[in-house]
Formats: sequence, C-alpha cells, structure tokens
Amino acid sequence: MGNVERCDKTLPLNEMIFYVRRDAALRERWKTDLEGLAREFGLSREEHEALRDKDIRRLNDMGVHQYYLSQILRLFYGAAFNTNAHPALDAYKRAYPEETARAMAAAGQVR
Amino acid sequence: MARIVAAMAATHSPGLTGWFERAPLDQQTLALGAFKEMQRRLELARPDVVIAFSNDHLLNWPINNIPDFTVGIGEEHVGPADWFDEWLALDKYRIPGHPALARYIVNEGARRRLHFAYLRDMQFDDGISVPMHYLNPEGRIPLVPVTLNCTVPPIPAPEHVYHVGTLLRDILRAYPGDERIAVLASGGLSHEPGGPRYFWVDEAFDRWFLDLLAQGDHARLLRECTLERMEAAGSGGTCELLAWILVLALTTGPADILAYMPAVAWRCGTGMVAWNDLAA
Repeated sequence: MGNVERCDKTLPLNEMIFYVRRDAALRERWKTDLEGLAREFGLSREEHEALRDKDIRRLNDMGVHQYYLSQILRLFYGAAFNTNAHPALDAYKRAYPEETARAMAAAGQVR
Repeated sequence: MARIVAAMAATHSPGLTGWFERAPLDQQTLALGAFKEMQRRLELARPDVVIAFSNDHLLNWPINNIPDFTVGIGEEHVGPADWFDEWLALDKYRIPGHPALARYIVNEGARRRLHFAYLRDMQFDDGISVPMHYLNPEGRIPLVPVTLNCTVPPIPAPEHVYHVGTLLRDILRAYPGDERIAVLASGGLSHEPGGPRYFWVDEAFDRWFLDLLAQGDHARLLRECTLERMEAAGSGGTCELLAWILVLALTTGPADILAYMPAVAWRCGTGMVAWNDLAA
C-alpha cells in the first residue's frame, strides 16, 4: 500500500490538527504559542520539534497523516493561492526533491 | 419510489477554484467545457435533489473514529468551512438539504446492516464545494452530501463500496416519495495530496481507469481496479475514485468521458464523466 499506510492514527499531532483547523482561536495560537498548544495536546518533544522545524519528511516518517502535512504547511505559510510556487509547496520540493523531479519530468512542465 | 435521473462524476481539486488560471489554457478550456456539459445534462434531467459523494478529507471526524460513510441530514448546508474559503477562493454558499431523504438513507441503511454515520451540521471542503460551485452555483437543487473515508486506513475496499451502491439503489427505490434524484461522484483521479508524490499525476492510470468506465464492464473494473492499484497511482487521493465506484453501482453500461487533463498545476489527474443508462 501507499504512503498513507505510514499514518500513526494514535499520534497526538494527528488529533491536534483536526481541532486547530476548525477553531479560529487555536489557529491564532498556532502563530503565537505553538509550544503551549503542543503541550496541551500531549505532543512528544520529537513531534513538537519536527513541527516547529516544519520538517515534512520527519513528520511523515513519524506517522503524521500526509493530508495533515499539507494543512500544517498552510497553517504556517497561509492557504490562499496555493499554487505549485507557493511557499508551502516549495517546502515539499525541498523535502522530496527526487519524487518532485520525477513528477515534473513525467509531466514535462513546471508551473 | 424515487428515481435516479442523472449520474456523473468529476474531479474536485482545490485548484479548480483556488488557482484555476495557473493551468495551461487548453486544460482550463477543457475543464470549463466539461463542467458546462455536466450542468446542461443536470438541467435536462430536472432533478429534485442531488446526492453528492465525496471523500471527507479528515474534516468532519477526528482521526480516532472515522466512519466509512457519513450522510449530511441538515435542513441547509453551508460551506465552505472557514478554514477552506481562502484556499478555495470561494464565497460562502447555502444549499437547501433534503432531511427526509437523508434520514431515510441513514435508517434504511441500518435496517440493511449498513452503518451510515450522520451529521446535522456537516462541514464542507473542496469535495462538495468545488462541484457545487460549477454545477449548482445558485444552490437551486437541494443537496444530500455523503462523505466517504478515502484516505485513513483502513480505506474500504472497492467491492464493499460498490455493494453499498447497490444497497443504496434499493433504498432509493423503496423511498416513499417520487423524487427525481441526480447522483454525483466527486474526487480523483490520480493524486497524492500531502504525500511525497504531491506533484505526481499518473496519466497512464487515469486513462486506463476512464477506459474501463467507457467500456462499462463493472465486474472487470472491480476485479482490476484494486485498492493497491489506486494507491500506487497516488496514495490517499486516487482512492477518492471509490465515490465513482459507488455511483457506478447506480448505472449500467458505458460512461461518456467528457474530458481528461493531467493537470499538474492543480496537482490532480482531472476528469469528468456522465452515464447515460441508469440502474432501474
């Protein structure tokens, strides 16, 4: 099976994103007090550090659901006009250069 | 006895509204043309209600307890959810629900040993918002949204989802009302949202899948289009084709392929189909 099979459904971070995303006050705290938020949701030190570092590859390996990785990046970098040139997508290109190069070569276009 | 009067399927990638103009012009033209053709067919069918099937992208249920199927039973549906309106570049919309039909589906499902979770206040992301924007922009057709788990393991198997489609066909047939029902599958084709292959579109898979629909051989499609095959073509996203497979059970015969675009700019194999022959 594919990458979603890496998901650790019991990881506190996978619970936390669900609630942050639907609550404007928590989204605000994401910007001002990520560490406090992480503590309240019971994240491990490892989870919090990978999150703080926006380390997509590490978070994925840790078992954060891949869909939430894209949400995490949008929480950090903003959600509007989420094109392939958006900083959130640039973070992906840095985390997965080989996969990205293969995808772009197959498509024959970089936009 | 309600009657199915239209069946179609389309991709719902957020790029279709959020950054539409970043795709090559020919893809934009194809997409708009296909949505227009779907809208034309929908109007011709004069549905009283549309049942729309889509992946719930971890929006409505926390990850500790994700149902396979969820029915929105509210009097009115309002979207997109706040977190998504900027991403989708969409204004808020309001679409009347059809609580009588929605609640009937939940309860009759249970009597057939099928679990439909339900929500009175369902939240909406791209899955329902994008097709409603293009096909039901004024919210004139009442909506019953049904979400599927296409992304959190265990993802339901295609043959189970198809079976749920056949049960739903029986449920609609037994409904004590003469509603004309349109069914709409939303999602797919190949994509891996948030995964290492985020930019990957598997054009060969997409064309193969669409060809299976054009042939209309359900047994062969179920035999060959396994979860593993879909996951290989883009993990956690391509499985949204489960919504198409559910709707397939409400049709017979070949689908018309209205358009296909390997749209890397929208990070999604993008396609639209409509069926002509509907299950009695």
